Amino acid sequence: MSLFDSRFYDLYIHPGSSYPIARIASEAQRFGYSGIAIINSAITDRDEIPQNFSIYRGIGISCKPSRLREEIKKHKGGIEILAVPGGDEELNRVAVETEGLDLLMQPAQFNNVLAKAASDNSVAIGFDLGSLIRLRGEARVRELIIMRVNLKHARKYNLSMILTSNAHSIYDIRSPREMAALAGLFGMTKEEAVNAMSETPLGLLKRKNPDYIQEGIEII
Amino acid sequence: MKTRPTLRDKKRYVAFELVSDQIITRQELIKEILNSIYSLFGDIGCSEINPWLMTFDGKYGIIRCAREKTTETRAALACMNNLRGVRMSILVLGISGTIKGATEKFIQNTLIKELEPEKKE
Repeated sequence: MSLFDSRFYDLYIHPGSSYPIARIASEAQRFGYSGIAIINSAITDRDEIPQNFSIYRGIGISCKPSRLREEIKKHKGGIEILAVPGGDEELNRVAVETEGLDLLMQPAQFNNVLAKAASDNSVAIGFDLGSLIRLRGEARVRELIIMRVNLKHARKYNLSMILTSNAHSIYDIRSPREMAALAGLFGMTKEEAVNAMSETPLGLLKRKNPDYIQEGIEII
Repeated sequence: MKTRPTLRDKKRYVAFELVSDQIITRQELIKEILNSIYSLFGDIGCSEINPWLMTFDGKYGIIRCAREKTTETRAALACMNNLRGVRMSILVLGISGTIKGATEKFIQNTLIKELEPEKKE
């Protein structure tokens, strides 16, 4: 059995408000995904979404570090995936120390203190492969260095990693095998990459289920 | 003189589909593929990958690469996102050891898959 037989999810797709989501959904299904999460966009054309394909909603919170804690608390406990695009150290620090956050995307200046806090609050670290696709030259080198550092800390502190395409349109979606190849550029192994696209997102989505109580507890 | 079989480069053929809403010519695509590989792996990496566009019919095509470098080729193809301002992306359909295998297994299959719903109607 091949590694790539699992179900794949992309949890950070970021189209503009007017972009047809059904088109993204059908394209993502053709590329081999079983579900996607749309950030900060209402799902209007739900009827046209292909069968056997799930679409989740996500909230991307970008604000000042001082307001971040309140914003996360406001949305905490809902069914939407809470994501914060990473920034400087101050913002990352507030994000990983607040309980209830699910995903911190591509944090720059990540360090062991932040990694430990993220591990305590079970915040997943997102790798934005879209930046590798869109950027060239010096800017891409910088992103690769950030990803290498994040990977090192995620391995050391057993953080959950999530690979996302951060797609703005259908032309930014890449199939799982290509995502794994891109992840290989900064040292991620194939197994880790597959886990970051199938098992970890599934676990995160399970946590968002209204029936879910706490880690290790379930109603029989 | 012909190279001895044991000394020949071992190759793989990558079947791909171009996703774009505008017409892209063969020359433009070759240039963009080489450009993407250069910017990602540099001159040495490009010489190791030894890429070449074998066929391209406007939508489906086959790229040749070295046997050990299929992952790198995938990564370089995934990094292509626009060509002279036109948005495009490449979906790798599969990798095979022969051109015949790549065409029969991946490209013709895809054509059949797309035609089927029309037949039912």
